[in-house]
Amino acid sequence: MSAADIELSNVHKSYYKDRLEIPVLHGLNLKIGPGDFVAMMGPSGSGKSTLLHLIGGLDSPSDGSIRVGDALLERMTERALTAWRSRHVGFIFQMYHLVPVLTAAQNVELPLLLFRMPASERRRRVETALSVVGLADRADHRPNQLSGGQEQRVAIARAIVTDPEVILADEPTGDLDARMSEEILNLLNLLNSEFGKTILMVTHDPRAASHARRIIHLDKGVLERTEENPVRQPMAGARAAS
Amino acid sequence: MTLSYVLMQNLRRNPLRSVLTTVAFALPMAVFVAAISLVVGLIQIGQSAAKELRLAVHHKTTITNSLPEGTRRKIEGLDPQGRRLRAVCGMRWFGGRVPNTQNTLTSLASDVDTFCEVHQDAGLTPDEEQAWLRERTACVVGRIPAEKHGWKVGDRVTLESTVPPYLSLEFRVIKIMTEASRANYFYFRRDYLVESMNQVGIEDSRCNIFWVKCRTPEDLRTLQRDIDAEFANTPDETKSEDENAFGANFVQALGDIPSLMQAMAVVVVIVVALVAANTMMMSVRERARELAVFKAIGFHSRRIFAIVIGESMMLALIGALLGVVPTAALLTMFPVRRLGFVPLASLEVSPIAVVGSIGIALLVGLLAGFWPAYQALRLRTVDALRYLA
Repeated sequence: MSAADIELSNVHKSYYKDRLEIPVLHGLNLKIGPGDFVAMMGPSGSGKSTLLHLIGGLDSPSDGSIRVGDALLERMTERALTAWRSRHVGFIFQMYHLVPVLTAAQNVELPLLLFRMPASERRRRVETALSVVGLADRADHRPNQLSGGQEQRVAIARAIVTDPEVILADEPTGDLDARMSEEILNLLNLLNSEFGKTILMVTHDPRAASHARRIIHLDKGVLERTEENPVRQPMAGARAAS
Repeated sequence: MTLSYVLMQNLRRNPLRSVLTTVAFALPMAVFVAAISLVVGLIQIGQSAAKELRLAVHHKTTITNSLPEGTRRKIEGLDPQGRRLRAVCGMRWFGGRVPNTQNTLTSLASDVDTFCEVHQDAGLTPDEEQAWLRERTACVVGRIPAEKHGWKVGDRVTLESTVPPYLSLEFRVIKIMTEASRANYFYFRRDYLVESMNQVGIEDSRCNIFWVKCRTPEDLRTLQRDIDAEFANTPDETKSEDENAFGANFVQALGDIPSLMQAMAVVVVIVVALVAANTMMMSVRERARELAVFKAIGFHSRRIFAIVIGESMMLALIGALLGVVPTAALLTMFPVRRLGFVPLASLEVSPIAVVGSIGIALLVGLLAGFWPAYQALRLRTVDALRYLA
């Protein structure tokens, strides 16, 4: 599947607690080109995860527009968003969230259960995804038989098994030591450079962010600044506007 | 891999809890299937009896007070053309037991000429009817005492009466009755009893009960009224009841067993539902973030709802099978009827009870899983991920 670009126009998001409005994002504008790798940094409560959830269609903006590829998310029903997400977005979480009673291969296969697909095709895709993350030989291991880094790699395989255009990673290295973090970040680089996935990664870790082509800084719900990574140049057409 | 496989694997997540919940299902369901089997058994006997259109006419005071033999002629005189009644059969309680045993059989001396007409559910073939009419010592035995004592057609058996004058009589088995409503009875000819009593110097041809076979349900109602009116204000006032009402007197002497069983079954179902609901709620609460991830990767809320409900129903089904199948097998291998206790003698595993129990278990699983599944359906992915990730 080809990469998708992402465009946010004047996105606002507020939460309500006991009828009290808590604004999180204030008129955010952002463009992420197809095949870009963007790291999102900022203090806690700056709206990073909220932004990630909005782009992934897990939540809807209070105002403004979000387009991912051809999909205008604010116009889609929950059912349509769920279906869209299953095909176009892969999620990676800090705590992996693998199903403990399933093997690595079965965890990777889970998203494919939503598709009408022969078992042989599912098996082929699972093997491919596990090979990409370097865990083909751990297919039959359960999560408790894997290290943290390996669990996260299984989670990445689960995120890419449907071949989505966009990968959204919420602190994917937050629970890993430096060596394992490096492995995961190299893997994300591979998915971006070799498979052309558009990646948006939330992180607190500057070393993790340094693997991205661009780093955007959020603070108090506004896009504070954007840095180009001098080591990794942005893809053509990828730029940010605040 | 399929979603059902995922459901099965989920039950392995906390094996001890799954086992305990399954046992919590299995034990009450075992009681449930036994209770419902008894209720179904009693209902079937009642339905079978109702079909026979028989009136039980006995002394108004109590069945132990006997009625004169002439009562039969008076009852027949109410409908000499036989437009409403087909036949009247007098019976006398013998209270026989097999020598050196304790349990008294439901043994009744019955009018020879009308027995087959009134008790068609005894199922005598024409040849057996001939044997009944021909052989003074003929007896017709229900399946339960026959199995208990190993009697077969042609066997000679002896019963000792537990009521005065404590006769010991020998009979020849001409028929084993298999119909559930007759399975516990022992019938023999009343003329044989009367003659045997005469031989020991007792002249007594009175009966404890007259069975009146009617033609239609309407005839049964009118005859019931007419018979009791006929004997009103006489020394032998009667009470006429349809067979179900008559049988209920005996069952209810031990308590209202069907109602008791039904109430117990309802309590069992409620307790199981609460246990299962509690387990499922805990399970869903523990897995909130996992379910949120399921939603994030594209599982629709309704599918999540189905997963939780499916898990609950799976647990219920396994529990029900573990409870129902061994109980059914045990009751089949070791029937309670061997104890000879009248209401419990009906306790045979009924297919209706087995299917009903499994159906009820699935319903309980559905109900128990509904609220947790609804919580999972309403789970906001973002909240679950934010607070639990």
